[in-house]
Amino acid sequence: MKKRILAGILVLVLAAGLCTGCGSSGTSKDPQPTAAETPEATPTRASEITIGIAQDLDSSLDPHHATAAGTKEVMFNIFEGLMKPTASGDLIPAVASDVTVSEDGLTYVFTLRQGLTFHNGDPVEMRDVVFSIERNRDTSSGTALIPALSVIENIEYSDDKLTLTLSEPMAELLNFLTLAILPQDYTEAGKQDTQPVGVGPYRFVSRTAQDSIVFERFEDYWGTPGKLDRVTFRIIENVEGLIQGLQSGALDLVMHMTATQTSQLSSDQFYIEEGSMNLVQALYLNNAEAPFDDVRVRQALSYAIDKRGIIDLAFDGYGIPLGTSMFPSFSKYYDESLTDYYPVDTEKAKELLAEAGYPDGLDMTITVPANYQPHVDAAQVISEQLKAINVNVTIKSVEWQTWLSEVYSDRNFQSTITGLTSDNMTASKLLSRFETNAGNNFTNYSNADYDALWAKASSCPDDAEQTELYRAMERNLTENAANVYIQDMADLVAIRKGLTGLTFYPLYVLDVSTLCWE
Amino acid sequence: MKQVFRRLGMLLLTMIIVSFFTFLAFELVSGDPALARLGTEATPEQLEALREEMGLNRNFLLRYADWLSGFFTGDLGESYVYRIPVWTLIAPKLEVTLLLAFMSFVLITVISLPLGIWSYRLSGGVPDAIGTCFNQLCMAIPPFFVGILFSWLFGILLRFFTPGNFPDLHSSFGAAFRHLFFAALCLSIPRSAMTVRMMRSTVIGEMQKAYVRTAISRGNDRRGVMLRHVLKNTLTGTITFLAQTMAEIIGASVVVEQVFGIPGLGRLLVASISNRDYPVVQVIVVLLAFWVVLAGTIADILNQKIDPRLRLGGDSE
Repeated sequence: MKKRILAGILVLVLAAGLCTGCGSSGTSKDPQPTAAETPEATPTRASEITIGIAQDLDSSLDPHHATAAGTKEVMFNIFEGLMKPTASGDLIPAVASDVTVSEDGLTYVFTLRQGLTFHNGDPVEMRDVVFSIERNRDTSSGTALIPALSVIENIEYSDDKLTLTLSEPMAELLNFLTLAILPQDYTEAGKQDTQPVGVGPYRFVSRTAQDSIVFERFEDYWGTPGKLDRVTFRIIENVEGLIQGLQSGALDLVMHMTATQTSQLSSDQFYIEEGSMNLVQALYLNNAEAPFDDVRVRQALSYAIDKRGIIDLAFDGYGIPLGTSMFPSFSKYYDESLTDYYPVDTEKAKELLAEAGYPDGLDMTITVPANYQPHVDAAQVISEQLKAINVNVTIKSVEWQTWLSEVYSDRNFQSTITGLTSDNMTASKLLSRFETNAGNNFTNYSNADYDALWAKASSCPDDAEQTELYRAMERNLTENAANVYIQDMADLVAIRKGLTGLTFYPLYVLDVSTLCWE
Repeated sequence: MKQVFRRLGMLLLTMIIVSFFTFLAFELVSGDPALARLGTEATPEQLEALREEMGLNRNFLLRYADWLSGFFTGDLGESYVYRIPVWTLIAPKLEVTLLLAFMSFVLITVISLPLGIWSYRLSGGVPDAIGTCFNQLCMAIPPFFVGILFSWLFGILLRFFTPGNFPDLHSSFGAAFRHLFFAALCLSIPRSAMTVRMMRSTVIGEMQKAYVRTAISRGNDRRGVMLRHVLKNTLTGTITFLAQTMAEIIGASVVVEQVFGIPGLGRLLVASISNRDYPVVQVIVVLLAFWVVLAGTIADILNQKIDPRLRLGGDSE
């Protein structure tokens, strides 16, 4: 009797789960939901994909106000500026059809591309272009959105020609003029924040907070049109969810995965593309605070930390070791010889520490943003490696917002691990932050030579000369061990078989216009 | 009538206190909503301007008073992050979470009430030991893990639903319901196990009481006594327990929503906290408080219906 009852209980528990499950799927007259979706999906599949992203976009979708790299990455498809970056790292005219630069580098003349329309149907007029540039150099609220544009002294325009006159030559001006051209009336009505309108190959359809963002191909795009009709970005904050989304067929492409994660995917269904994140991951040191105000201590850490060991242990060997604040995608500026400027040498590191007055080692704290697993992992390996020179590491894991305000804004930290990027393909962005008075110099690096080099480089009209100056700045950072440089992280992308055309840019963007189903 | 007013007053007071402490908590933790919005490239001037615009520079109590008066006049404010009215943001998520909570509550009740009574009948002996073991196992497995397991088994292998693609609740209710069902099941397993265990011990306790012995000695069979007397006495405790469950389901749904990719209130709450989106957090927390108090109130009313003794005391705490 009792046995029967026990069996009854077990059956009931299982039945409660299984039968109701089957039952509920049965009631929808559709016993195999996905089987039913597949035939429906096959014809549309040719022109539609869903991409999984790990975080929601910025509050505002207005491209001039968006700050998060993840937002720019997605919205890249919606907007275009006078100039537009290409996958090879060049700039080509977009909203402008042509650009000429005077000999002295002080006058830029743009010709407006004829017949362009915005996604909302309005024609692209010169006043929209001027409005967009003015909006970014407007200083009425203190600082301009793009401070570098202050170099523009005068703007003159007719219906199809725009002439910019600079106060001094600036080699990187065109990089900044990739800024999105927006329709003036629409933007001034405050609609860009929630319903952005641009001129890019895809147009924004809808956004559901924390759920999805939908784009559709813009039929009147001036250039090579996108191949897919519709692209959905689905926000799934946890990695398991992303992987299951791929496995279940809900997602077709997920960027920024690690080797451990991609190894869970079946190679019959997916293939993996490897690019790089285009960022400088480093143990950033607060150069103003003891013990890191002493160059010897910083050098000691540089000798003691084995970046290849970190890449092997925490990143399964994927990643490019770096030795300075520049990554290989900027091939023109990148100086590979700096990577091994500090070979792993524990003895040397101990000597330097002793010279600096720490013969018995020291204690230090690494503050890491807890939501960035790669940085947390790197901190753990570093903490192990530093034991060899008697440096005792405490890892302080903080929430992202806390990191932003305490470490980045208030500079109240000893050391931290993060990845710094450059958003509009200007190498200067990676280097300008180490100038003594730079507002974003959160590491408090201060070096007179460096400042002099920067002053010279930032107003240098000659590209070759500027490149040399940048390289000198990189060397300066390495020699003074401003930070302990680790790597440019690998960016693994899982793609469903049959989907092709992924192009890597030297920027943190995902160009969906080249993607298509075979 | 007096009762009703007293209850309403309590409800209001609870919500005000909760909202105040939430407000206070955000005042104390580090993190700046202006910085959260502007990101790493913001200049101090921009930050200052935005703080001014958002009213963050004003006195804390003033801001709270503002919020409170807005709340009572039906103006819940605007999300810092999404710049849309808080209610527009919350409403669709609330729908999903309520449905999820309701489904798992039904599941818990349907699973645990009969099992609880049965498990009493089993008490003592090997099957009981096995049952207890199984019960403990169910209690111990974290919903997070069960969620991953279910997604894999029912989602990827059996394809009852598509993990990573939660269908729209209105346009494809069937598919959304299926998706929610497995999440609800995952939520209800540990709570059901707890309810079964609670009921079992209550029933055992009741069966040893004098009135049961009397009833049986007067010639009633055990089954009849169980249904007519014991069950009724067990029910009040169970209802209170289920009310707590109701409150806890919402808390647990935070995790389950993450695993199953359900766009619900829990996910919104977590994201809003990390984005320092105070207006949204504020409203969700108040809603949760309301939910908890409501569940308690319903339980009290039901208990008073079942047990007349509670009606005299006026309060069943």
